[in-house]
Amino acid sequence: MSRLSKILAWLFIAFWALTALAPALITPGDPLAINPAQAFQAPGAGHVFGTDESGRDIYTRVIHGAGDSLFIGLAATAVGMGLAIVLGTLAAMAPRWLDGIILRVLEALYSIPSLLLALLIIAFTGPGVGPAIIAVGLSTAPGYARLVRSQIRTLKNSEMLEAATVLGRGTWLKVRNHLVPNALKPLLALVTLGVGQAVIWAAALSFLGLGTPPPAPEWGAMLSAGRTYLHLAWWMSLFPGLAIVVVAAGATLIGRALGGKARTI
Amino acid sequence: MSIESQSSGQERAPLITVSNLSVSFGCTVAVQDVSFTLSPGRALALVGESGSGKSVTARSLLGLSGGTVTADTLQVCGRDGLALRDRQWQGIRGNAVSMILQDALMALDPLRPVGREIGDALKVHGSYSRAERRARVIDALKRVHLPDPELRARQRSTELSGGMRQRALIAQALIGDPQVVIADEATTALDSKLTALVLQQLRQLKEQGRAVLMISHDLAQVANLADEIAVMRRGKIVEHGPAAGVLEDPQHEYTRTLLRAVPSGVPRFVPLSASPAPAAPTAVAADAADSAPALRAQNLSMSFGGRRAVDSVSFELPSGTTLGLVGESGSGKTTTARIVLGLQKPDSGQVQLLGQEFAPRKESQRRELRRAMGAIYQNPLGSFDPRYTAGQLLADALSKGKSKRAAGGYRDEVAQLLEQVELDPALASRNPRELSGGQRQRLAIARALAPQPAVLVLDEPVSALDVSIQATVLDLLDRIQQETGTSYLFISHDLSVIEHMSDRVAVMTRGRIVEQADTAQIFGDPQHEYTKSLLSAMPRLR
Repeated sequence: MSRLSKILAWLFIAFWALTALAPALITPGDPLAINPAQAFQAPGAGHVFGTDESGRDIYTRVIHGAGDSLFIGLAATAVGMGLAIVLGTLAAMAPRWLDGIILRVLEALYSIPSLLLALLIIAFTGPGVGPAIIAVGLSTAPGYARLVRSQIRTLKNSEMLEAATVLGRGTWLKVRNHLVPNALKPLLALVTLGVGQAVIWAAALSFLGLGTPPPAPEWGAMLSAGRTYLHLAWWMSLFPGLAIVVVAAGATLIGRALGGKARTI
Repeated sequence: MSIESQSSGQERAPLITVSNLSVSFGCTVAVQDVSFTLSPGRALALVGESGSGKSVTARSLLGLSGGTVTADTLQVCGRDGLALRDRQWQGIRGNAVSMILQDALMALDPLRPVGREIGDALKVHGSYSRAERRARVIDALKRVHLPDPELRARQRSTELSGGMRQRALIAQALIGDPQVVIADEATTALDSKLTALVLQQLRQLKEQGRAVLMISHDLAQVANLADEIAVMRRGKIVEHGPAAGVLEDPQHEYTRTLLRAVPSGVPRFVPLSASPAPAAPTAVAADAADSAPALRAQNLSMSFGGRRAVDSVSFELPSGTTLGLVGESGSGKTTTARIVLGLQKPDSGQVQLLGQEFAPRKESQRRELRRAMGAIYQNPLGSFDPRYTAGQLLADALSKGKSKRAAGGYRDEVAQLLEQVELDPALASRNPRELSGGQRQRLAIARALAPQPAVLVLDEPVSALDVSIQATVLDLLDRIQQETGTSYLFISHDLSVIEHMSDRVAVMTRGRIVEQADTAQIFGDPQHEYTKSLLSAMPRLR
């Protein structure tokens, strides 16, 4: 990663972190304030991104929506990764029969398309932010878990682990100090890629009305609302859509760069 | 073949003349003002540590240095090496000048039959038919005395033993009938029997009238073969002369250091390096004989598949002493070490540590006992967690894995350990990857010493090190044994290291210990045929 792209990556992260944590600093307006007189205003001087059917400012809503969208994306990745670490480590360390059972379950889950799996989970839990996080997290976990398992299995037979055994380290210390940290290092890039993916999926669930409920300013939900008026107010869909693209593409680029770095080591 | 038919006249024109050769990579100069000649039927040895520029010098004779080459003269078999283009070099490589590679056992493609691998050189160099190529490959394999050459040529390198692969590689270097053969550390990392084989082959090449350039870090390896020795250091030749003169009456201080570093024939505890530590050649462990042994192995056996890797191995390690376990690669030394360390459960037999049951035993029951035994490996880097700095590795070992932060109360102890192994405490913040091979091994020793073990199992601890670095590490091990009374189970294929380090020696082959006696007895009056054959293969300086 060159110096410049490093700075750009950090600026990108800092910008979205600020947007998510303190949107009021960037835009002073209220994302929920209705002004029917101003409905369907095209992008212009008063409203940079235009307004929606109830006259709410799209720019304010996109900025305020970052919190929900990014939170779901990050939280879902954390859930998926956390589950993957537990399952993958367990499978790698377990006796052969238990490893087999865990692997078959993971493979069965892996064979279902992730979004369908997420929809299935929401069908049981009902829509909402929490269920969306759990649904996206659960559906990404099997892929990560298989990677964690193979990483740990490789490390388990390394001289490093033998040295730890000779020093008298028990299984728990070996897992905590050596196996998991070293197994996760090459997965860092993948996780960054995963955040972008999770943001898209979270938006997709909201688009289908299964994530954040309206009128909260969530990007997927805004896209969905804009769809009805696509022929007369394109800006209602374009700007939340752009936000999703920018975040997902940014996360992907950073992930790629991290991946390149991991390969050179 | 044309060479063999020539008369073995003494003063023939040199095949290679090099004067004031310099090679640089960017602004670092790897080789500076090196001059020598290679004549038919003569062998020149280039000796020096890794990084001294020996390999770069040799590679520039093949146009492979990869750097910027300047020289007053670079005559290679009648051609001006400075003017040659890459395609023209290809005509010289393998034909006029060939090279036996350093990583001998890895240099053959595991997926192709050995015969085809060797015949490739003919495809490049001549217009031979398939049948002719085959005949010449078989002929070359016969010349290096490979048994069943027809069968071996059809096999892949993985189906060949180490010795056969080594012969195949030499055949590969000879197939183009070169006038000059370069052996770049061709004996490094080989056990003594294979080393003897390679040296014998090189001697034959010399007698056939070829010029041999041998590159090694070990003066003992070249002592028998070389007519001339050139000692290199930091890209320059510091001493150059007839072999006998360099070995018996070295002029340069560095040559003396290298000679002193050769461990064979040097009594125990006599320093091999000019380290500042005072020599104390008195036997500290004299009273150890009557106390209980630190380590005892009884009837260890272990099979993999149908093969017996370890077969009824028994030994005792009296406390405060060193037991040397010596054997060729594949003799079962490392499996024995793994059983002793409790990393592999034996099929039968027991290991006792300090009089207590150690293996086979449940891991949870022997965890406390584990602190009494440490291990040092050939490749220390592989045994370190790559995320840890040197200091963190030691803090982790001191705190039993609870903390890796040196600041958490372990700073003084970490510094103490580093000082004990003669490392600068400032290195604590470095990652082991940034350390040199010798420093890494010192760090591994420091980590093994952290729990104050009674026994250290050292599996080829110095085999990957240059002789001069090896000398300093061996001196360190000697000093630690004198200071702490730690007992060593010292495993090596290198007889001279074993001779210098051991009180008792056990000779192992095909999973069995065939002879076990005091060091002087083994090296002075060996009883078993195998021991005798090992000793006769040992390269000797003194």
